[in-house]
Amino acid sequence: MSVVEAAGTDLHRIVASGKWPAAAGKVPIEWLGAIRERGAALASNLPIPDRKLEAWRYTPIGFLTKALYQPVLEGPFDAVQVSDVDELFLDGTDNIRLVFVNGYLATALCSNIVHADGVELRSLGGSMGEPSDELRDKLDQVADKRHVFAALNSALMSDGALIHVSANVTEKRPIELLHISLGLEQPPMCHPRHLIVLESGASAEVIERYCAIGDGAYFNNALIEVSLGAGSRLRHVRSQEESAKAQHLSDLHVRLGTESRYALTSVALGSAWSRTDIRVKFAGEGAHAELDGLILARDRQLNDVHLSVHHDVPNCTSRETFKGILDGKGKLVFDGYIHVAQDAQKTDAVLANDNLMLSRSAEVDTKPQLEIYADDVKCSHGTTVGELDQDMLFYLRSRGIPLARARQMLCQGFAEEVFGRIVGTPLYDRIRRLLAARLYETE
Amino acid sequence: MMTSTADQMEDIVSRGYEHGFVTDIETDVIPPGLSEDVIRFISRRKNEPEWVLDYRLKAYRHWLTMDSPKWSSVHYPPIDHQAISYFAAPKKKEGPKSLDEVDPELLATYEKLGIPIEEQKALAGVAVDAVFDSVSVATTFRESLAEAGVIFCSISEAAQEHPELLKAYLGSVVPHTDNYYAALNAAVFTDGTFVYIPKGVRCPMELSTYFRINAQNTGQFERTLIVADEDSYVSYLEGCTAPMRDENQLHAAVVELVAMRDAQIKYSTVQNWYPGDENGKGGIYNFVTKRGDCRGDRSKISWTQVETGSAITWKYPSCILRGNDSVGEFYSVAVTRGKQQADTGTKMIHLGENTTSTIVSKGISAGEGQQAYRGLVRMAQRAENARNHTQCDSLLIGDRCAAHTYPYIEVKNPTAKVEHEATTSKIGEDQLFYCRSRGLSEEDAVSLIVNGFCKEIFNELPMEFAVEAQKLLAISLEGAVG
Amino acid sequence: MMLSVKNLQAEVDGKEILKGLDLEVGAGEVHAIMGPNGSGKSTLAHVLAGRDGYEVTQGSASMDGTDLLELEPEERAALGLFLAFQYPVELPGVNNTHFLKEAYNAQRRGRGESELDSVSFLRLIREKMEMVSMKPELLKRPVNAGFSGGEKKRNEILQMALFEPKLAILDETDSGLDIDALRTVSDGVNALRSPARSIVVVTHYQRLLDYIEPDHVHVLAGGRIVRSGDKTLAKELERRGYGWLSEQGEAA
Repeated sequence: MSVVEAAGTDLHRIVASGKWPAAAGKVPIEWLGAIRERGAALASNLPIPDRKLEAWRYTPIGFLTKALYQPVLEGPFDAVQVSDVDELFLDGTDNIRLVFVNGYLATALCSNIVHADGVELRSLGGSMGEPSDELRDKLDQVADKRHVFAALNSALMSDGALIHVSANVTEKRPIELLHISLGLEQPPMCHPRHLIVLESGASAEVIERYCAIGDGAYFNNALIEVSLGAGSRLRHVRSQEESAKAQHLSDLHVRLGTESRYALTSVALGSAWSRTDIRVKFAGEGAHAELDGLILARDRQLNDVHLSVHHDVPNCTSRETFKGILDGKGKLVFDGYIHVAQDAQKTDAVLANDNLMLSRSAEVDTKPQLEIYADDVKCSHGTTVGELDQDMLFYLRSRGIPLARARQMLCQGFAEEVFGRIVGTPLYDRIRRLLAARLYETE
Repeated sequence: MMTSTADQMEDIVSRGYEHGFVTDIETDVIPPGLSEDVIRFISRRKNEPEWVLDYRLKAYRHWLTMDSPKWSSVHYPPIDHQAISYFAAPKKKEGPKSLDEVDPELLATYEKLGIPIEEQKALAGVAVDAVFDSVSVATTFRESLAEAGVIFCSISEAAQEHPELLKAYLGSVVPHTDNYYAALNAAVFTDGTFVYIPKGVRCPMELSTYFRINAQNTGQFERTLIVADEDSYVSYLEGCTAPMRDENQLHAAVVELVAMRDAQIKYSTVQNWYPGDENGKGGIYNFVTKRGDCRGDRSKISWTQVETGSAITWKYPSCILRGNDSVGEFYSVAVTRGKQQADTGTKMIHLGENTTSTIVSKGISAGEGQQAYRGLVRMAQRAENARNHTQCDSLLIGDRCAAHTYPYIEVKNPTAKVEHEATTSKIGEDQLFYCRSRGLSEEDAVSLIVNGFCKEIFNELPMEFAVEAQKLLAISLEGAVG
Repeated sequence: MMLSVKNLQAEVDGKEILKGLDLEVGAGEVHAIMGPNGSGKSTLAHVLAGRDGYEVTQGSASMDGTDLLELEPEERAALGLFLAFQYPVELPGVNNTHFLKEAYNAQRRGRGESELDSVSFLRLIREKMEMVSMKPELLKRPVNAGFSGGEKKRNEILQMALFEPKLAILDETDSGLDIDALRTVSDGVNALRSPARSIVVVTHYQRLLDYIEPDHVHVLAGGRIVRSGDKTLAKELERRGYGWLSEQGEAA
């Protein structure tokens, strides 16, 4: 059975009939036709991941054959009201908020959508106006290498944000892409797709969140492309808070132009099965990327992050810090790959992956890799796996803090080193709360 | 300055291979090709017991079902296993009864390699087994070892004289089904060394084997088996050379180590097989399976390797830490230059409680050398309080070489602690300048720095080998390293 | 007695370190415990604070009539025992203010007292910071992470000021301090001297005792108190070293 079939999607029939997923009231999005066809062709040709494929060695996808997913071919879901989902909103922000329910833009739930000069905000479904050529031309151009799920996204993408910030324009308000999923009787499979383009000297912040109403099963298969022009800056915050029965897969592709800056803070707390591929490519000299991730795997969660950073040009620097917390029967997979091409002299890259194991039945599989073809570089990686430090625990207890609380504080502290990057924001408070709840629950 | 360094580095890189001569000796070589008949021939020639032949045939039939592995980062054209001759032996009428009967040509060969086999000239305290093409030609100091109860002989002799020991341990660490080349070796292994250290015995001298490939179109498939019984100790050294030949030659060896309770095995390798010429023509394909089994509590296996030769090196000396409190170590220096490729590393499989492992890997790539460290550290669920520390450092010399690091870390026990660090860098200009401002030539400065880079590993080698390794490293990088 | 230790014997990894130690500390008294390296000074401090890995094989230790050895470390803290660490532990990612407030309130809860709200706590902590001349920004940083040696020790004394323990054990508080830091830390400790608070100063050198003047001085050698006296004993040790005493200790 192919992934396409397993995913409950009769791809070939869709291709033949030309009936692509489309936002309600709109004709199928014509300009996506070629991209969809390319995606469909690729999806049919790519191998179904199994453990013989190095990139899926530790990541079983058996669930695909157990649940029959229902493609979400139409939206939006007007039935969802603000009062159903407002607990997911971040209080006290002036975020430009785009809300997607099961992969489709829900206009009624969006807020602060004003069109400032130099900032073009569109949706793939077309309900926010026709995207400019700059956006159309960039879509599907950043993602170079992709696995079958990413190809499937290109074939079946439902809706998503298209963001374009013109040269030297700074958008001060964070743009929040809030995904809200609802499990249905037959688990839906959604394919959100976003594109973020910053022209030279532009600057912006994007917050990408995946949340759920209720604890239903569904499969989110997202693909995000980020293109950064010369000297541009993007702060990108991702938080995966999917339901405990959800499958989450996201594929993030970032391309950095000359002297651009990209800062990613990525937190993955939810879902039953989660796989994130982050692919960062340096295309212009003097650029810098700062990539931080926090991964929690508890109960029977499988949480997998595959990070690959490609230093293809000289004089770029990158810092990768990924931390994992394992509890219950959680399984965590981290694959961190740094590639330095022959021309990429003076590359400076440091990858760290530290894992905290709180339970006897958890498992961590980590694989930091360096592949280096240039000689004048400084590259290193470090990995640790261990339990809580006994000296730290004793120090806390000697100050009167009970053992259970001391353990939580140290776990929080461990995690804080990553999500502390967004301290002072409402999302910080929310993640802190979620994390505390999840670490308490298993005590 | 950088250009001149690069040029000098080129010089070193292109320097010749010193052990590339061919010994003119009459050799019995069977025609190329592999079949059950060939295996029966080898077994008959070696006068083996029936069970050894059965073992070979079982391995051969299994091998036929396997494909050659594709997962490593080394590249080579497909090997035609029917074009290789699986048996070559120096011609002789009868096996030598003593060293006096060994062909003087052979003795001269080892002399030329700097390995004196004549006992009066031998390195003090080192017993040598010399393996020439497919067979063991001389083993020294056997009597003094026998007094201590130590068995040190060729594996063919072991099949005759210690069949019960061989039967108990052969294939018990590396089963014939383990991998493609291990299966091939199990089918066609020709000779190699067998060592047994009885309970409570500390082997009175270093044991060593020198492997030499001489004949053309042959493969070398030796097999080494070392068993250290309870509370014993042995240090074993292995050295390898081959003549310069235009075609690639396959060396697919298997080494098995077994350490019982409180036993210790120290296994050191200086591998200097012919690496091929500067255009990548010729050279040895060194595809070796080495594995140690720390079967008993508090046992220890330590691998040290200095890998400067071979066109392609592909091996992962590993430890299965089965006994509680057992210890595994892997210390490695690998140099690739010219068109050499190396994919090497280790596996540390922690099964027992309080097991510890240490991995220190130093890779030096020059010219167009390609090198990968590939390693696995696995902490099984019952590996309570197990510890691993891994350090992988790569040094790059020149801008056409490459260094890769692929560590796999799998942990299923929360009390286990794993630390892995890796760095890649080139020789710092400030380091070079500092040395030169103190009066060192650029070449000496680089040599000094590279030696410092490898010092941790050389410290693990027995004295004679450390000196040899240091020399070998200097030769390998001479001129290349200004 | 604030602290009463009788015939205390303790092992680490099967090795006997304390070999029958007796010590009585009255309320409001300052005792110095001196001794050469490896004599068991730090072991005593850790056993009293309840660290894992130290096995008490014989004897007793009680504080204000309560058996200490039965209690978890946090229960001892709530009771009013405070150990200033020789090497304060770094807690990456754990905010210092948060830590102090958690600990403060946990101790209060342990004593059945009500917790302090955030505003009152901040007011309290600022006051205590001034007392030990600590830079306010250290409150915002993770506990001890990236602190200099002096800052770490000051952070320990800040905690002592905050928790107001009945019995404070200062383990080699002078180690790694320059003369200015030593004075600030000592001033902090002296400010906390009170008739209701006992202090045990564990130190290798007499130097610290120039600043924190003890009522009693004990010499610990070979796992036992081999000599006790007043502050002049410290001076004598400075002059003569430990050699003559430790020999006595072995013999005793």
